[in-house]
Amino acid sequence: MDHNQPHAASEETRMLRDLVAKFVERDLMPLEPAVLKREATGGGFKLSEEEEKTLLARCQELGLWGLDVPEEFGGANLPLLSLAAAEEEMARACVPFTIPPDSPNLHMMLSVASPLQRAKYLDPYARGEQRSAMAISEPGAGGDPAGMTTRAVKDGDHWVINGRKIWVSNVPRADFIILMARTGDGKRQDGITAFIVEKGTPGFVIEREIPMVGGRRTYELVFEDCRVPAENVLGELGRGYAPMQLRLNVRRMQMGARCIGMARRALEMMTEQAQNRVTWGVRLADRQAIQWFAAEAVMEIHACRLMVQDLAAKLDAGADVRMEASILKVRATEMAQSVLDNAMQTWGAMGVTKELPLQLMHQQVRLMRVYEGPSEVHRSAIGRRTLGGKV
Amino acid sequence: MKVLVPVKRVVDYNVKVRVKADGTGVETANVKMSMNPFDEIAVEEAVRLKEKGVATEIVAISAGPSAAQEQIRTALAMGADRGILVEHDGTLEPLAVAKILKAIVDKEGPALVILGKQAIDDDMNATGQMLAALLGWGQGTFASKVEKDGDNLKVTREVDGGLETVSLKLPAIVTTDLRLNEPRYASLPNIMKARKKPIETVKPGDLGVDVTPRLTVLKVEEPAKRQAGKKVGSVQELVEKLRTEAKVI
Ligand SMILES: Cc1cc2nc3c(=O)[nH]c(=O)nc-3n(C[C@H](O)[C@H](O)[C@H](O)COP(=O)(O)OP(=O)(O)OC[C@H]3O[C@@H](n4cnc5c(N)ncnc54)[C@H](O)[C@@H]3O)c2cc1C
Ligand SMILES: Cc1cc2nc3c(=O)[nH]c(=O)nc-3n(C[C@H](O)[C@H](O)[C@H](O)COP(=O)(O)OP(=O)(O)OC[C@H]3O[C@@H](n4cnc5c(N)ncnc54)[C@H](O)[C@@H]3O)c2cc1C
Repeated sequence: MDHNQPHAASEETRMLRDLVAKFVERDLMPLEPAVLKREATGGGFKLSEEEEKTLLARCQELGLWGLDVPEEFGGANLPLLSLAAAEEEMARACVPFTIPPDSPNLHMMLSVASPLQRAKYLDPYARGEQRSAMAISEPGAGGDPAGMTTRAVKDGDHWVINGRKIWVSNVPRADFIILMARTGDGKRQDGITAFIVEKGTPGFVIEREIPMVGGRRTYELVFEDCRVPAENVLGELGRGYAPMQLRLNVRRMQMGARCIGMARRALEMMTEQAQNRVTWGVRLADRQAIQWFAAEAVMEIHACRLMVQDLAAKLDAGADVRMEASILKVRATEMAQSVLDNAMQTWGAMGVTKELPLQLMHQQVRLMRVYEGPSEVHRSAIGRRTLGGKV
Repeated sequence: MKVLVPVKRVVDYNVKVRVKADGTGVETANVKMSMNPFDEIAVEEAVRLKEKGVATEIVAISAGPSAAQEQIRTALAMGADRGILVEHDGTLEPLAVAKILKAIVDKEGPALVILGKQAIDDDMNATGQMLAALLGWGQGTFASKVEKDGDNLKVTREVDGGLETVSLKLPAIVTTDLRLNEPRYASLPNIMKARKKPIETVKPGDLGVDVTPRLTVLKVEEPAKRQAGKKVGSVQELVEKLRTEAKVI
């Protein structure tokens, strides 16, 4: 049975899925052993500059670029259903690479950047020549970023920023960061402004690198009288919160699709081992315990894929999908965690080695349960919307 | 010159084929289907001929169910210009396909038809040769190299003893072997462009071709399971066992 071809997929979506699947087989999978080894020996979950360059060139050649970016910025402007199919295929490889350009910041900038900012930052970024990071979280404000205290004060034609950010990804390679800081007296969402801060701006200090599970690294940043020109205010003064949240639901859809890709890989590996491994004279595939692992995986993958498709279709239609996005974010991350865990279990000792990708994917999903809203925050939101509670 | 490229819809080469429980054939319901890999090579070769300015138009043809449009669309995304679907739901034997192709050749008047040497489903290795016979054209089968040579086509063939080079007068038939080229991926921009390329649909009857099967399939079964091999400790033991157990020497 092939559960991977969604029933209602358009011809383009099907062909895009095939194209991405081939790219994954030919270009990503061969890098996986080196990626696993690098992570296992303390080198982090990352690609070398050389590996990344080769992949970017390949993506350019195949037109795998800016799938959800408007055509005027060189993108393909595909429906989200197609994007979901591509994300799912990409996630089958345990290789830290996404189809460029990495889009959350791109969409925020697309919606609010000034003409000057477009030329200076957005265009090179959209072409993949520059990278960026997004600094929102603070030691005292993570899941609830409206509690942030980093402050920017106007001084002539500059803003002077003081404060501290934490858990920021992609910092070392970022040419600029988008920094969220308070500029007004407003409470919570009100009075938060986005700034573009270039790498090397005096007073912008990378305080420390924080190793995380799965070979990931995030960074703590300190801003000490960091002066940023007024033209680097991104969007409206005091109204940075809404654009930052833009496409939050698209990201959740992408995460859901990635979880399905990882779970599919886990199921493939589980199946391979179950059909080959014999213990006490019986194939694992003939043991009910393992059959139930497989059945659970198939059912959950199917359910989550339907959720992704539903979310994608509604997003494309412009519906309010906060509920669907929360449901998917929680369900898909927990599904992938459990399927990966069962696949590891099926492989016995081999499953918990760093020679197989299962453990590393398991850890990436572990991280996903925290960022883009921890599971409990989404569960609270789902319950609150259902029961009509406060907060 | 115009080039025709027939493309067949087959079970994807990554799928582990399963025989249907009633033994009438292999399971194709809910199975991923793709273009026959040898046909991808044929499309690629045609596109390269067009890029070199040798071919002027590439027409992709598939005979099969309406879903075979997918394979035509893939050929269009790789660079074919238009498609023809000969829609038929039942079995299509190589001779029936060859007759269908002949009818289309008569209508389209191509100088070259490039086919896969075989399809990975039934491995018949027959359609190209049958088509050449029906048309009375020359054929270069199992091609590993195709070059324009004046008015002729120089085709390098992979034969048992090595490589054979034949010169074909056009119009001609070529069937592709694995080493002819490495097919490109249909890039995203080309996938989007393929959307707008036309696919015409006809029925075998419209072409005046009777596709009634001439063969009866009695039974399809899986190959016998391979027995585990035996490990031997030395050449001496191997020779001994070949003599006494296998009785082959
Ligand atoms: C790998 C990774 C990369 C990251 N990258 C970035 C980045 O690039 N930029 C950036 O700004 N931030 C980044 N973050 C930070 C991320 O956004 C925050 O970790 C996340 O928002 C949670 O905030 P917190 O860690 O402060 O946890 P807290 O907000 O302290 O929450 C801790 C826990 O409390 C519980 N909880 C909190 N609120 C509720 C509630 N309302 N209802 C029920 N339970 C609740 C949940 O169990 C939650 O897990 C990253 C995090 C990770 C793990
Ligand atoms: C950290 C670590 C340290 C170790 N140290 C040592 C050591 O010092 N010395 C040593 O000799 N070994 C050691 N081992 C090996 C360990 O004993 C084996 O991994 C364990 O016995 C499982 O065997 P296996 O890995 O071959 O998995 P398998 O036997 O292949 O089992 C794989 C999976 O199949 C399923 N399964 C198997 N049989 C059945 C059944 N009958 N019914 C239902 N399900 C079944 C289970 O889900 C199981 O997890 C170590 C393993 C680890 C992870």
